Amino acid sequence: MTTMTDTRVPVTVLTGFLGSGKTTLLNRILTEQHGKRIAVIENEFGEVGIDHELVIGADEEVFEMNNGCICCTVRGDLIRILGNLMKRRDRFDYITIETTGLADPGPVAQTFYMDAELERHLRLDGIVTVVDAKHIWEHLDDSDEAQEQIAFADVILLNKTDLVATADLDRLEARIHAMNAAAKIYRTQNTVVEMDRVLNVGGFNLDRAMEVDPKFMEPEYPFEWSGVYDLQPGIYEWVMGEGPDPAMQACLLPLSGSDDKARAALVERAVITFSDADHKLTQGGLLTPGETLAQLVLNEQGETRFKVQIDQAGLYTLFTEHHPDEFSAALFNGEARLAAQFTREYKPDHEHDEEVTSVGITVPGDLDAEKLNRWLGNLLRTQGQDIFRMKGVLSIQGQAERFVFQGVHMLFDGRPDRPWGLELRHNALIFIGRNLNRAQLNEDFRACLA
Amino acid sequence: MPRVDASSRVRFDGHWRAELNDYVIALAWSPDGKRIAAAAVSGEIRVFDASGEVAPVTLPGHAMGTNALDWHPDSTRLASIGQDGKAVVWDVQTGQAVHTLKTGASWGERALWSPKGDVLATAAGKLVRLWNAHGEQIREFSDHASTVADIAWKPGTDHLAVGAYGGAVIWSASSAEPIRKLTWQGSTLKLCWSRDGSVLAAGQQDSSIIFWDARKPEPSMMWGYPTKVRELAWDRFSKYLATGGGETVIVWKFGSKGPEGTKPIQLGAHQDLLTTLAFQQRGDILASGGQDGVVLAWLPGKREAPLGGLRGIGAVSHIVWSPDDRYLAIGDDQGSVMVTEIVPE
Repeated sequence: MTTMTDTRVPVTVLTGFLGSGKTTLLNRILTEQHGKRIAVIENEFGEVGIDHELVIGADEEVFEMNNGCICCTVRGDLIRILGNLMKRRDRFDYITIETTGLADPGPVAQTFYMDAELERHLRLDGIVTVVDAKHIWEHLDDSDEAQEQIAFADVILLNKTDLVATADLDRLEARIHAMNAAAKIYRTQNTVVEMDRVLNVGGFNLDRAMEVDPKFMEPEYPFEWSGVYDLQPGIYEWVMGEGPDPAMQACLLPLSGSDDKARAALVERAVITFSDADHKLTQGGLLTPGETLAQLVLNEQGETRFKVQIDQAGLYTLFTEHHPDEFSAALFNGEARLAAQFTREYKPDHEHDEEVTSVGITVPGDLDAEKLNRWLGNLLRTQGQDIFRMKGVLSIQGQAERFVFQGVHMLFDGRPDRPWGLELRHNALIFIGRNLNRAQLNEDFRACLA
Repeated sequence: MPRVDASSRVRFDGHWRAELNDYVIALAWSPDGKRIAAAAVSGEIRVFDASGEVAPVTLPGHAMGTNALDWHPDSTRLASIGQDGKAVVWDVQTGQAVHTLKTGASWGERALWSPKGDVLATAAGKLVRLWNAHGEQIREFSDHASTVADIAWKPGTDHLAVGAYGGAVIWSASSAEPIRKLTWQGSTLKLCWSRDGSVLAAGQQDSSIIFWDARKPEPSMMWGYPTKVRELAWDRFSKYLATGGGETVIVWKFGSKGPEGTKPIQLGAHQDLLTTLAFQQRGDILASGGQDGVVLAWLPGKREAPLGGLRGIGAVSHIVWSPDDRYLAIGDDQGSVMVTEIVPE
């Protein structure tokens, strides 16, 4: 079914714990979209009543099938109610389904792919999760439901921001982002949000499978920190104290241009440099700018000093395997300690080892279709239960078009998209799931390259 | 009507046609053959004179939508049930509600008279309630794993099969305890007893059918359907079970061998998903209707091509045979009700 002519009625699923504000959001949708006919399926009579002509109560009946396959788990109540709604002559422009805080979004999403009747008439548009920014902390660690509602979401509203300090919000956002890197996160008070951020988001639309903010697709970097220094010709010293490791990798690259594009290109060069073999430098060793990777070996005790030789004035970026603070490391010009003009950290500050995480993979080149099928088939068979969402664009050897896909658990939906044309053929995909093995996924995916 | 065999053809001879204001969600021919009741998904119920010559009677139906209809065996009363959570027994002569029954849930799914007509069963949510002729509740069965999807009286008995998630439960109007629990992990959508009462077939959400044969210890599962199976029909000898769940009519033959391990008869001609199947009462013709807006007549086991067909307007929602097997009433998704004579040639 092509999305060009998709006239199916869009469905938005609202999830979130009782009291998160999802009923307020629902009322807001109904008020602001008053010209449209919206059917509401409600599973929980929450803190705010819904004043609407068509509210249908449902019972969250999860049906597991005889084959025991989790992807066949569907919501019987939705099949019954939506099946009936779709028969009516007065069609709806939009359908919203409000679930309880205890609902598993998996069967809700799967219902739209497992039932031919619903699939014909309805299009799952997105899962919107409302998070109570003040109280979600209590649930993030030990509630599977809370974790899954975040993991499945296309849009996450961090609500009640007025009750939380900005620093705590930043922490919360970083944590939620680490769990679900594909979701758009908005901070709200009273769930005030532009309607086009929650409706018609195309979360399950293949055409929009890669409309993920590139920064959300950050790969796992081999370095944790970079700093930009403005240096004149001469000899500088990189001084390191004792730290958690006996050595640290680093490279120094000249930066041409200071715009985002130049920085991004530089980061790519650094990634490539870090994939090379390193050469050891000890006390007094010389670190020169260029695409060679140094392993800075520390003295057993006390400070270790490395020389940095600059021949041409300009901006230089130092990439380090660990954060310099862990080694009390800094660049000196004589006695003067130099501050970096611009620094960046490449790993979010993980306070928790999240059970639920996102694994993004970006790899240039073409894939061997057969290897890919075998790997993906096996992956979904063995880990499909733990993979909540996936989406991406693939470059298949011998195919002129991009291959776009998205999936929920073991359900896989994919097709060729537009031709690559002049665009660099590459693969960019994201998995969101529980207990994902990042290194293994990356390694196995790379093994599918032609 | 004349005998129909493999070399026969049938002609669909249009008789009359009328309109409801919405999708025909229920269609029922009165046992005396005189009337046809039809319900629109949005609620309206109309009772037509089967000859098409007398103006129909319109009943108010159910506010949020009507879901099901069933004629009392004496043909004077009609039961309906709907999304207002009520079941209503109508006097079709006067158009008045005789009894208005509370089903116990907001969404009433099925109302069905017992074979003798002494008990009305209603299904709503997880509750099945039985009512006597005075509109008094005599039983309530609630031990069901999910919302009840379908109910079916065992022919000639007061045993009621109730289908829901987890299989089916057989209750008796004369007992508060279930007679038998037919356990199956899966979601039952539709129940259909063989006419001799020996086999209960259940169409499933997971694209399969299950049947419990009283002569066998374990249920059997037939799978491989393209989609969920809600279309089931038994022939008069309880030998053929016609099933939908796709574009092709799949007919299982019950006999000394099978249907387990046998290949079913496959009747293909529809261009879209089947929506309804109905065997004649005393003849061998199977009628099928589909999303493609086509009604076809078949002679399963004797002929692979259709005997004849009719192209309707909208997607077919229901087909029912007249009690004398001469006519078909057809409902569609546009609200049309058509009556056509099946004329052997």
